[in-house]
Amino acid sequence: MTTFWPIALITFKEGIRNRAIYGIALVALMLFGATALIATMVPREVGKVAVDMALSTISFAGLLIVLFVGINLMAKDLDKRTIYTVLARPISRSQYIIGKFLGMILLITVTMALLSLLAITAIIILKNIHAGYFTRFSWQAIILADGLTVLMLIMLSAISFLFASFTSSSFITLVLTIITYIIGQSLSGVKALLEAPSYEIGFNVSPMTIKLVTAVYYLFPNLSLFDIKLQAAHALPISPSFVLWTVLYGIVYIVLSITLAAIIFRRKEFP
Amino acid sequence: MIRRTVAIAAFLLFLTFLHVIALGRSTVERKQLSRGEGSAIVLPSPFLKIAALEFKGLVSDILFLDSIAFYGGTLNRAERPRVKEWEWQWLDKSLSASSDLDPYFLDPYLFGNAIFTWEAGMIREANDLLTKGSGHRTWDWMLPFFTGFNYFYFLQENEKAAEFLMEASRRPSADPMLASIASKLAFKERKTETSIQFLEEMLQRTDDELSKQRFRKRIEALRGILLLEQAVATYQKRYHVKPRSFEMLIAKGLIQNVPEDPYGGKFYLEPSGSVKSTTERELMPHRKK
Repeated sequence: MTTFWPIALITFKEGIRNRAIYGIALVALMLFGATALIATMVPREVGKVAVDMALSTISFAGLLIVLFVGINLMAKDLDKRTIYTVLARPISRSQYIIGKFLGMILLITVTMALLSLLAITAIIILKNIHAGYFTRFSWQAIILADGLTVLMLIMLSAISFLFASFTSSSFITLVLTIITYIIGQSLSGVKALLEAPSYEIGFNVSPMTIKLVTAVYYLFPNLSLFDIKLQAAHALPISPSFVLWTVLYGIVYIVLSITLAAIIFRRKEFP
Repeated sequence: MIRRTVAIAAFLLFLTFLHVIALGRSTVERKQLSRGEGSAIVLPSPFLKIAALEFKGLVSDILFLDSIAFYGGTLNRAERPRVKEWEWQWLDKSLSASSDLDPYFLDPYLFGNAIFTWEAGMIREANDLLTKGSGHRTWDWMLPFFTGFNYFYFLQENEKAAEFLMEASRRPSADPMLASIASKLAFKERKTETSIQFLEEMLQRTDDELSKQRFRKRIEALRGILLLEQAVATYQKRYHVKPRSFEMLIAKGLIQNVPEDPYGGKFYLEPSGSVKSTTERELMPHRKK
């Protein structure tokens, strides 16, 4: 652990200093403002819309951080050739990768905690103004949804590390990560659609397509599992066993990605 | 130097001025663009569900807000019918998609019910929406209650209405009155009284002033009919014959005068002894074929 910490801390500090963070904070602030405005346009379920918007804002801002701050952090050492000075020190390449990733986890957790605080403030204010329209409401569910979103973002970041370990440019990593995010969020929907009886969807699906989708399903992360915003917005019951298995899945996927990234990075030849 | 600064300032001022004019004109011209039937497309829900990624709740909110904004925009139209057929279809599709993305969202159901029943005569569509919502919001007694009301008031299918009211009465914190109305509807017992009871229940649940007025008027009419019906029954019991006119009831002191029909018609007595109004059709909203 002692060898990881300095790198983790440097990565975190670098991330916080990144100017993009301010831009993202501004976007988040504007969206929280919009939450207050839009939620009050709804006749009845003000609470639902407020929670919807607040959680979506957290998710969206976090996504921007992973995509535009996180990937940059990883690529900067390679682009600016500072990696040589780091690797000249007595740490292994895997330690370097793990240290960087720990720093990224720290960055995501801290920024998400701050955003969540803003979101909670926005919800509290709305709840005080429109108390009668928050009939089904649960802080627990909101915090849980928020936590799973953070785990989803860490997972996406882990995958971006994996991509960064074998691509030569940060732009390619960015594109691959965005594609993974879209696939990860939509794949279970696509799978469900293709597996539905053909009279329901109106066209025939070849067995080859189903096999391909199933293969992709196990390869790419199923990010939609971590999305319980709807349940949180309506205070629907969320079973502990679902949370347990989902968290386990997330952790396994993260460890797998980072281990693979470390292995590939160890063999990488620098220009 | 100063000349240059002035020239640049003048140029910027001119551009600002032009910008305001262009924006204003473009907005006005855009409103003139016809919004043809082609734009009435709402993407199918299975596709929307996938495309919305993790923002399904948000997309659902936006579709709903889009629908109310569109409907609100039609309110000050001069032409008749105010909302065109394809526009109703679009509203139906949009609200259905919104409730597919977030089936627990109450607002699309209530809004759809409000506009489809009174204005569009799309009772089946309203009931489809309500039934979908009722299936997801199992804690909510209002949705089956409204479905029951639509069956009773617009479709005049009392057995169906009773079924949905029963369902509503079984749900948490439902009004105990619902079960009693349901059973009376099912047994066709004291139709007028049950109708008044049902409408009063509905009046309590309605926020919209226009609907409230409609309900009040209807209740007033039904109260008049009820008064006459009761007098006819008493007459029959006492004299063992059916009265032939309301004057006979007045002569025997059973009523003081014939109540006025709030719809502007006149109540009359059928040879069978039942009380009717010349504006009978007014009592029912216009229905589509």
